[in-house]
Amino acid sequence: MSIIPLFIAIPLGAAFLVSLFGRRIKILPDLLANLCTASLGILSLLSVGIVREHGMLVYKIGSWAPPVGISLVLDGLTCFMLVTVNIIAFFITLYSISYMARYTAKWKFYTLFLLMLAGMNGVIATGDIFNLYVFLEIAAIASYALVAFGIEHEELEASFKYAVMGTLASSFILLGIIFLYSYTSTLNMADMSNVLLAKGPGKIVGFVVPLFILGFGLKAAIMPFHAWLPDAHPSAPAPISAMLSGLLIKVLGIYALMRIFFNVLGVSQNTYFVLMILGVISMTLGAFLAIGQHDIKRMLAYSSVSQIGYIMLGIGIATPMAIAGALFHLFNHATFKSLLFLNSGAIEYSTGTRDLKKMGGLNSHMPVTGATSLIGSMSISGMPPLSGFWSKLIIILAAVQAEYYAMAAIAASVSIITLAYYLKLQKEAFFGTLGEGLEKVKEAPLTMKLAMIALAAICIAGGLLLLPQVFDLFINSAAKVLSAGNGYAKIVFGSIR
Amino acid sequence: MNSLFYPIIIPFIAGIITLLMPKRIKFVKEIIALLTSVFVLSIVIGLFRLKPLSFTLGNTLLLQLDNLSGFVTLFIAAFALLIIVYSFGFMKGKDRLNQYYGYMLMTLGGSIGAVLSNDLICFLAFWGFLGITLYLLINMGGPDAAYASKKALIIVGGSDALMILGVGIIYFMTKSFSMAGLSLPLNNGLAIAAFLTLACGAFAKAGAMPLHTWIPESSEVAPVPVMAFIPASLDKLLGIYFLARISLDMFIIKTGSTVSIILLALGAITILAAVMMALVQHNLKKLLAYHAVSQVGYMVLGIGTGNPIGIAGGLFHMLNNAIYKYGLFLCSGAIEHKRKTTDLDKLGGLSKAMPITYISCLIAALAISGVPPLNGFVSKWMVYQGLIELGNSGGRLWVIWLTAAIFGSALTLASFMKLTHAVFLGQCPEGRCERQEVGVAMWLPAAVLAGLCVLFGVFAYQIPIRFFIQPSISKTITYPGMWNASLSTGLILIGIVVGFIIYAIGSIKNLRVDEPFIGGEPLREDMKVSGVRFYQTIEDIPVLSLFYRWAERGLFDIYDQFRNILFFFTRILQRLHNGVLSTYLAWCLLGVIILFFVLR
Repeated sequence: MSIIPLFIAIPLGAAFLVSLFGRRIKILPDLLANLCTASLGILSLLSVGIVREHGMLVYKIGSWAPPVGISLVLDGLTCFMLVTVNIIAFFITLYSISYMARYTAKWKFYTLFLLMLAGMNGVIATGDIFNLYVFLEIAAIASYALVAFGIEHEELEASFKYAVMGTLASSFILLGIIFLYSYTSTLNMADMSNVLLAKGPGKIVGFVVPLFILGFGLKAAIMPFHAWLPDAHPSAPAPISAMLSGLLIKVLGIYALMRIFFNVLGVSQNTYFVLMILGVISMTLGAFLAIGQHDIKRMLAYSSVSQIGYIMLGIGIATPMAIAGALFHLFNHATFKSLLFLNSGAIEYSTGTRDLKKMGGLNSHMPVTGATSLIGSMSISGMPPLSGFWSKLIIILAAVQAEYYAMAAIAASVSIITLAYYLKLQKEAFFGTLGEGLEKVKEAPLTMKLAMIALAAICIAGGLLLLPQVFDLFINSAAKVLSAGNGYAKIVFGSIR
Repeated sequence: MNSLFYPIIIPFIAGIITLLMPKRIKFVKEIIALLTSVFVLSIVIGLFRLKPLSFTLGNTLLLQLDNLSGFVTLFIAAFALLIIVYSFGFMKGKDRLNQYYGYMLMTLGGSIGAVLSNDLICFLAFWGFLGITLYLLINMGGPDAAYASKKALIIVGGSDALMILGVGIIYFMTKSFSMAGLSLPLNNGLAIAAFLTLACGAFAKAGAMPLHTWIPESSEVAPVPVMAFIPASLDKLLGIYFLARISLDMFIIKTGSTVSIILLALGAITILAAVMMALVQHNLKKLLAYHAVSQVGYMVLGIGTGNPIGIAGGLFHMLNNAIYKYGLFLCSGAIEHKRKTTDLDKLGGLSKAMPITYISCLIAALAISGVPPLNGFVSKWMVYQGLIELGNSGGRLWVIWLTAAIFGSALTLASFMKLTHAVFLGQCPEGRCERQEVGVAMWLPAAVLAGLCVLFGVFAYQIPIRFFIQPSISKTITYPGMWNASLSTGLILIGIVVGFIIYAIGSIKNLRVDEPFIGGEPLREDMKVSGVRFYQTIEDIPVLSLFYRWAERGLFDIYDQFRNILFFFTRILQRLHNGVLSTYLAWCLLGVIILFFVLR
């Protein structure tokens, strides 16, 4: 019995059960969702051990061998992403217990949440490009609904924009897949990679690459395809903002892009350069936009655009060191960005506002939120010894090594702007004089505090991932999959026999 | 565990314990802080005697205690002990003491870690961490400190981000992160970029122009012990230590090269501009803060000369400045503690009320002004000799640097005349002249520092230079000029004694003590001569007035300029994001068209 399908089956099953019984049994949605994400978290950690032992696992759905049937693949990159997604999803569900209590219809929330999680796990685990598209749509459609969860004017508008632009992206991705299918006559990613190698890339790859950059780039909110994000991410309830900004854009955007570009298409140097340029643009302009915001969640949303730029820069440099740095930053960004969104949720929960101008001096009333938010802010701004410092360090070192001096300089300078707007956030929200009418503000409830503390602890200890053994096991094994390029196909077919 | 770890790890552990300690438990925090700092100091003294020491992990030389880092570590530990003792008096009864002592101890551990690190990554981690503790400590000053702390961390932390770039370039050039024995020549753009980015970090920490603006801003709002310990002494030690490291060990600076001239020019500008700002300040702490910036100029000048005497002068000045500036800030804290204000207008006549503080402050003030035979004179004299030596060896422009340095020194003296008059002499406001010296915990550290000023001045060559400065630079110091401190001190003492005898013989019989008066009328409160307006006229001098007005508007503040440029772009971008879906879709379409064009 392989554990790979469990990553999709468990959340799907839980979503089904929650939607069926959640309305009547009040405690069921919380309980089931937390059990589900907790077990997924444990399974994902177990999968790290399995990959270390076996190298790669391929699960054949219905026992059909890969070129014919759909396969699920568990390799270094998959298990890196699974760990990132499922561990953080667990903390987010933990947080949701208290946070979502003020919304009606918790069961609807959890159903959609778990569907989205199933979709993300599916995108990560699948070895079939059309299957990837299907899972991507499951996750995306669930997220459209979740953004609109508050059904106020603002939420509906944001959700509409998000849905229109997201569908545009999906259709371009589908178009790209159709072209690839017509050229290679296969949908299995490993097989497609082999066929492309045998037939030569031809004009078709050159045509598909821009389609994919638009499609996945829009999902990842890379500039100039980012415009939906600053509306959509702040409008969702805080746990969903954390999920979207922390995980969804990375799984649907970055992961899918990396997997297809590195392992299937084997794109040209030119393309990587374009990715790098797009990364630098997002990084810089995202930071410029973030510093002008007064809505705390909007600031965080623009910050996501900026940080995704760092990851894209690492991917675009495409040396093994840069890829490792990008993946490391992906993991770190997932932790601190979800932490910061959870903090913003705690502030909204306690004070009822997201406007930085109406806050101030919250440290005295919300010490846990204040302290964890400071840790998250310092970490994302790259202050040592927190996790964000190490990943930015690797990306900048890799940029200098690859002789992209200007990129390295921009990355370092944007880091200063990042520090500036996070300190603005800290100053306006937590330091300074207490805002008007905030004398009776209380700290967030226990489960919310627990989730924030746990994520802050990961931010502090993130540097430990750099210890050679851990780094090899967790990040380097993922980076190696990408660096192997077409070697992916050989390993997939090798591990079937 | 290697013995070099103890002075780093123990303050960290103690700091975390203190931080987590509940509010109810009294005195334990203070005792932990005191014990830790005593312990660290004794370990460091022990290590100093055993130097050189090093710790190697795998192939990397991680920590190293050599002559330079040894003496810096020693003084960091000593200063930490003094500040903890001082805080017993100053912070008594204040809120959040667990955080205060916790962050202070972590600052101690982090600074020692930064100084001992030989590995650049390790160094960066400690160095950056100090920015966070600085931010938190400035914030201990209460709600008003929020803006200043933010500015401080943006400048200090931002320069750390640039340092990453410098470290990256060094790694690219040498394939190693080790600082020791790199000796990279500054002959190509990359090396110069690496040097300048690393120097940025050193400048921001030490507070040299143009990265100094966070120090005056913080001085008004941060708790005085924090200002005294971190920006006034610790950060000077760290910043100049690192500048010395990069200029002596990591890079070779040729005399007369561009980099050397940049350093010298920045040093000279720092001295003059900051002292001009100090002259017109109305707040005691802010005045001291501008001097803290100004003095950095001498250190940068000294190191920029690149000859042994100049470098030794720069390093010695770093040490001396840390001592007297620390003392001055502690005195300002004592005054604030008693009078609840540091506004020069509201102070006066404290020489009778606080005699020990007065004497300590006077000695430190004379030392910073470079009055012989105190320590500030010796090191400034060495810097001057370095500059003259620079001229002898063919450097251009040396006259300019020398003039700036000497002129700056004169202005410093002038500014401290104002301070001494406004705070200690003159009349007491509202007749509050009763004796009100601070407690022993607060006057003792200042008195110790004043004593050090005298000791390091009179016995400059016998103690500090022999044990700390000379070993730190590999070359022998040759002194083109002569200054025999002990002899001069003797002469000065004889002069004072003779003068006193003459005074005693001549006038002691018809001494009359009276209230101050003008034209036979007793002096009224509104006729008080405050020191504040001593140099007000310089603000009206045609060209200078322009500069002062610009400075007031923040034109020389790199932080403000940076922010203006940033927000200019931000506003444009915000206007572009108009929230209309069709616009956003048009961007996507445009984007994909460009992609098709580029990737065809």
